[in-house]
Amino acid sequence: MRLKCPKFLCFKDKAEIFLFILASISIIILFLIIVFVLNEGVPAFIELGFSNFLFGHRWSPYYGNFGAFPLIYGSILIVLGSLAISVPLGVFTAIFLAEYSPRWLSNMLKPIIELLAAIPSIIYGFFGFVFLAPKIMEFLNVGIGEVALTASIILSIMTVPTIVSISSEVIASVPKEYRKASLALGATKWQTIKSLVLPTAKPGIIASLLLAFGRAVGETVAVLMVCGCVPQIPSPPWNYLEPVHALTAAIALDMGEVSWGSLHYHVLFGLGVILLVITFIVNMIADFFIKKAPRGVQI
Amino acid sequence: MKPKIEVENLNVWYGANHVLKDISMEIPEKRVTAIIGPSGCGKSTFLMTLNRLIDLVNGVCVKGKVLLDGKNIYNPGIDLTELRKKVGMVFQKPNPLPKSIYENIAYGPKIHGVKDRKTLDSIVEKCLRVVGLWDDVKDRLRDSAFELSVGQQQRLCIARALAVKPEVLLMDEPCSALDPTTTRKIEELIQTLKNDYTVVVVTHNMQQANRVSNYTAFLYLGKLIEYGPTQEIFTNPKNKLTKDYINGKFG
Amino acid sequence: MKTVKEKTVLFLLGFSAAILLLAFVAITLFIGVGGLSAINFRMITTSIRKGGIFEPIIGTLYLLAGTIAMATPLGLATAIYLAEYAPKGKINRIIVQALNNLAGVPSIIFGLFGYAFFCRFLGLGISLLSGWLTLTCMTLPIVVRGSQEALKMVPKDFRVAAEALGAPKWKTIKDIVLPTATPGLATSIILGISRVAGETAAILFTCSVFLTKGLPTSPLQPVMVLTYHLYTLLVASPGTSTDRAFAIALILLGLVILLNLLAYLIRMRYRKRWKW
Ligand SMILES: Nc1ncnc2c1ncn2[C@@H]1O[C@H](COP(=O)(O)OP(=O)(O)OP(=O)(O)O)[C@@H](O)[C@H]1O
Ligand SMILES: [Mg+2]
Repeated sequence: MRLKCPKFLCFKDKAEIFLFILASISIIILFLIIVFVLNEGVPAFIELGFSNFLFGHRWSPYYGNFGAFPLIYGSILIVLGSLAISVPLGVFTAIFLAEYSPRWLSNMLKPIIELLAAIPSIIYGFFGFVFLAPKIMEFLNVGIGEVALTASIILSIMTVPTIVSISSEVIASVPKEYRKASLALGATKWQTIKSLVLPTAKPGIIASLLLAFGRAVGETVAVLMVCGCVPQIPSPPWNYLEPVHALTAAIALDMGEVSWGSLHYHVLFGLGVILLVITFIVNMIADFFIKKAPRGVQI
Repeated sequence: MKPKIEVENLNVWYGANHVLKDISMEIPEKRVTAIIGPSGCGKSTFLMTLNRLIDLVNGVCVKGKVLLDGKNIYNPGIDLTELRKKVGMVFQKPNPLPKSIYENIAYGPKIHGVKDRKTLDSIVEKCLRVVGLWDDVKDRLRDSAFELSVGQQQRLCIARALAVKPEVLLMDEPCSALDPTTTRKIEELIQTLKNDYTVVVVTHNMQQANRVSNYTAFLYLGKLIEYGPTQEIFTNPKNKLTKDYINGKFG
Repeated sequence: MKTVKEKTVLFLLGFSAAILLLAFVAITLFIGVGGLSAINFRMITTSIRKGGIFEPIIGTLYLLAGTIAMATPLGLATAIYLAEYAPKGKINRIIVQALNNLAGVPSIIFGLFGYAFFCRFLGLGISLLSGWLTLTCMTLPIVVRGSQEALKMVPKDFRVAAEALGAPKWKTIKDIVLPTATPGLATSIILGISRVAGETAAILFTCSVFLTKGLPTSPLQPVMVLTYHLYTLLVASPGTSTDRAFAIALILLGLVILLNLLAYLIRMRYRKRWKW
């Protein structure tokens, strides 16, 4: 008979004990993050009331108005705008890379597009603030260049690599036999892609959009520098040529100035909680779609 | 004949799948024992229980005894390193380590405490000579083992197993990936090995079992159907299943 | 024969790719041209008080070095433990899933946590040490995830071969698994470093200040950092000293491109090696 030891805490060797300790430390720290942000953020929800905080229309912390709605709205507005640009751009580029471009071109373009994701957000902020915003002001003839549109454009460049790299991988992993079968029936290349390849790759592409959404909504300094930081709901609400404010930007701007333990302090953590919830939900839905992606595709 | 390994009421489950059922047999020392049977009957699983490599599989449950020189290898206190030094294994697909040819063979002895360069050199040379690879590779011992042909890789793996001086050698379809000439060579090798080692070889090839082994065991659906001297099994099988299998009626 | 429609489609697809390429070129040109005309040796080596950017450069290196020293062992140990030792049950899956989710958490959240936990709760204040710890938390999920992928790529055959020879588990990992996975592990660490080098949000209120007296002499002092310095130059006092801003941006961009290039080259070699 084989002795079954309790699986947990049954160490095979010294190395395992050492690794176990380090791994426990890092896992505990990482869970502390959630605990601490919740711990500091929940008082805001309690003190202000859940719906007052979430749906309050005025955000002017120095006068005691802590309505987060303009920030949430601003974040969503900017992010949706950025997706409106990055989704077609990203998916088209992904199709191009996976299906049309010669190998050498893909091999050159892919690392460049990946680099776009690696460029620090402060540099995007710099570029948007010094280059793009004045251009927007000039060409669209608006009073200031730091508006929702500027933020959306910058965010779209920042997040498009996520869409391109995941989508092109998913598209490339659709089995060759499918295509051959369709081409043999006399379909053109584009018909084949449209009616066969894209539907098969759809879950993966959707997952890439969701991950891009998650990345965009958490972006901080670049947004802060180009969105104008005016906590308002534009009129009409879809007016992209007005400045807005964002969840992340509000946290970054105010955090340096609040006193520890004040209501304002807790409110900023409350914004952090909202942000966490949004990213977790988005990531979870993305996971769901990733699991539906064709077999053999790793994201 | 003195048994090297005694298997008593061995049962193995993969999850709920009962793949070895109540196997009991004695494997004689310094003889070649062949395990035959249709695909999926549990031959590889059986081999892996003999050196406890089966421990690497998740969710496996082993019941019963395997006695090596009279000692149960499933006893809690057993030293796996010692066990696997005594019971070497060669796999169906050659699986060289991502190291040089030399290092592949020297790795085992090093683990078991051989440090002296000269000793290692001589072990490497001796083992490569035994498998007939020395003349092919003596000038490129530092090259990656993956640069060898598949047949050479398999012989390298045999040499690697021999390098730790095992008492038992388990071989899981060692020739299935090889061409007829190399297969011949390995069969001859097995013949010579039995002077020093107890060999257990799994094979799908009846002629091969007939040619190389002294004893043959026939496994079917996880049960040991028949076991005896190879001559008898092939000329005069007692069980109808064995007869049908040997005559190629199924499998 | 290509129909008109096929051609239009191809044009549209190629055009999208061209726009992305253009965006990259525009940003690098903007920073490159502005930066190259602003940067000079004197600026890099003189103190901030005399119009240079010496302290933020060295401060960034301090920050990077400490974070690497903390995040690498922790991240590798966690990945190795989870991939090789931990029982493969439900708990393991949940932890891996949670780590994946944490890799997607916005960096500003790490900043919040770092401030509340390290600066305040543990009383480390706005300091280099708080920065190291915060950035370690931020890179840990990235390093762990990347390392796990690298470990998973090591063929099972290698482990079985070593264990069949009697190698104990730890020796199998040390002699076979880790050397095989090294390129992948290195890549994941380099990419983690690259994230840290360009990070602003997580250090806004944990370790950096606009001006210090000089370089920190102990980990409990605040430090000047390139990203933070650029941020304050632009947000708090726009218009002043664009030269310095461009120079910093160029250094940051160059650093990140270099790190990513390195990771890319390692990955390319790695792919070739897998063909064995
Ligand atoms: N790791 C595993 N997990 C679950 N089931 C397994 C595992 N390995 C093998 N099995 C199952 O156990 C049974 C016996 O497998 P085993 O590999 O021992 O057969 P075999 O006789 O070696 O077959 P073959 O001749 O094809 O190599 C098979 O039904 C197989 O599907
Ligand atoms: Mg088998």
